[in-house]
Amino acid sequence: MAVEEMKVLICDDSIFVRKKLAAVLKNCGVAEIVEAGDGEQAVQMFEECSPDLTLMDIVMPKMSGVEALKAILEKDPKAKVVMASSVGTQENLKEAINIGAFDFLQKPISDSQLEMLIKKLAK
Amino acid sequence: MFTQFFGNYLLNKGLVSSSQLSRALSEQKNTRAKLGVLAINAGYMTPEQVDKVHAEQQRVDMRMGDLAVKMGFLTGEQVDELLSQQGLAHLALGQTLVDSGVMTNAGFAEALSSYKAENSLTDVDFTDKTGNKVNEIIANFYSFTDEPQKELLTEYVTLLFKNLIRFIGDDFTPLSPEKIPSARSSYTAVQRTEGAFVSSTAFDASENAYVSFASRYAGESLTDADEMADGANGEFLNLHNGLFSVNVSNEHGLEIKLVPQEYRRGGIIPGPAYRIAVVFPFGTVCFYVAPGK
Repeated sequence: MAVEEMKVLICDDSIFVRKKLAAVLKNCGVAEIVEAGDGEQAVQMFEECSPDLTLMDIVMPKMSGVEALKAILEKDPKAKVVMASSVGTQENLKEAINIGAFDFLQKPISDSQLEMLIKKLAK
Repeated sequence: MFTQFFGNYLLNKGLVSSSQLSRALSEQKNTRAKLGVLAINAGYMTPEQVDKVHAEQQRVDMRMGDLAVKMGFLTGEQVDELLSQQGLAHLALGQTLVDSGVMTNAGFAEALSSYKAENSLTDVDFTDKTGNKVNEIIANFYSFTDEPQKELLTEYVTLLFKNLIRFIGDDFTPLSPEKIPSARSSYTAVQRTEGAFVSSTAFDASENAYVSFASRYAGESLTDADEMADGANGEFLNLHNGLFSVNVSNEHGLEIKLVPQEYRRGGIIPGPAYRIAVVFPFGTVCFYVAPGK
């Protein structure tokens, strides 16, 4: 898939993080960016938008990122969800990968890390 | 990180005021320690000898190093060795204080020498990349002796200073820590940690300092203590707590869970908590850790 056709869903309770990630994705040429501020909203937006990539924070109100990941994969087992969190402990990593996360990015996420991820998906 | 604690030492000894130190810390980035300060630090010259060379420089058009060699105070090898240490931040801080007239060469020499003696520091420690000595200084600075999890608390605070330097800037001075029964909140981001390290952590500042801190973390100029400032400050707290949980998981095999951040205006920060106040040129910000809460 070409980057210019890609739709990305950013799930993070911090508006600051959402804006930062959105700015980098825009620079990469991503076609459409949608945002969710908590886990519940993330699942809802996923259903509405069917994104090609979901960036998912772990520590979020209402529903955690790991719970949202489970709910999304139940709806679409092929969904590409990348966990993006500062809480990259071994337990978190194991749990997310076991559930079926596509990848894990440790915060703070650099522009180049995100660009590489987009390029990897665009191949 | 020695610079920040050396700054605190100068402040506690009444050798500089908080505003003088803040100004010097923000100016030190553009300052390189000059030969006089370096020679005093190394013990190669006395402050009086440095002043003599400076006085001679008023009459003779020669570089300080050449003149010091000519006057018999230094050898050529010593000059080369000293110039290679110009990048040491605590010496740049000293140079800034001397240049701005806050301290004399003699005053700086005495302060540095007592600081080294009180903390059993050698010159090698200042360039030691392992950070062992820094950890020791922080452990002595923040005495958590009565706390059941004193080691984790020390690691928490050590990482906090590293993260401040990494994400906000190194132009700060930590104030002496206090254990407080509770505190009044002004503009606050709060996050609880659970699991192996149960605590309530908070970041609190006046409106202006809250916005300035958020601006530095965001890397852009924010103007209001709004959702964006909350998002940036909350993310700094979350990032710090997250990185701490990663370290604790990797080094001790313990798992810490984080609860989503909350934002407050006014009210009370519950205690007993440790207040870690940090002075930046834009104002003072406070971190609170209430273990067991």
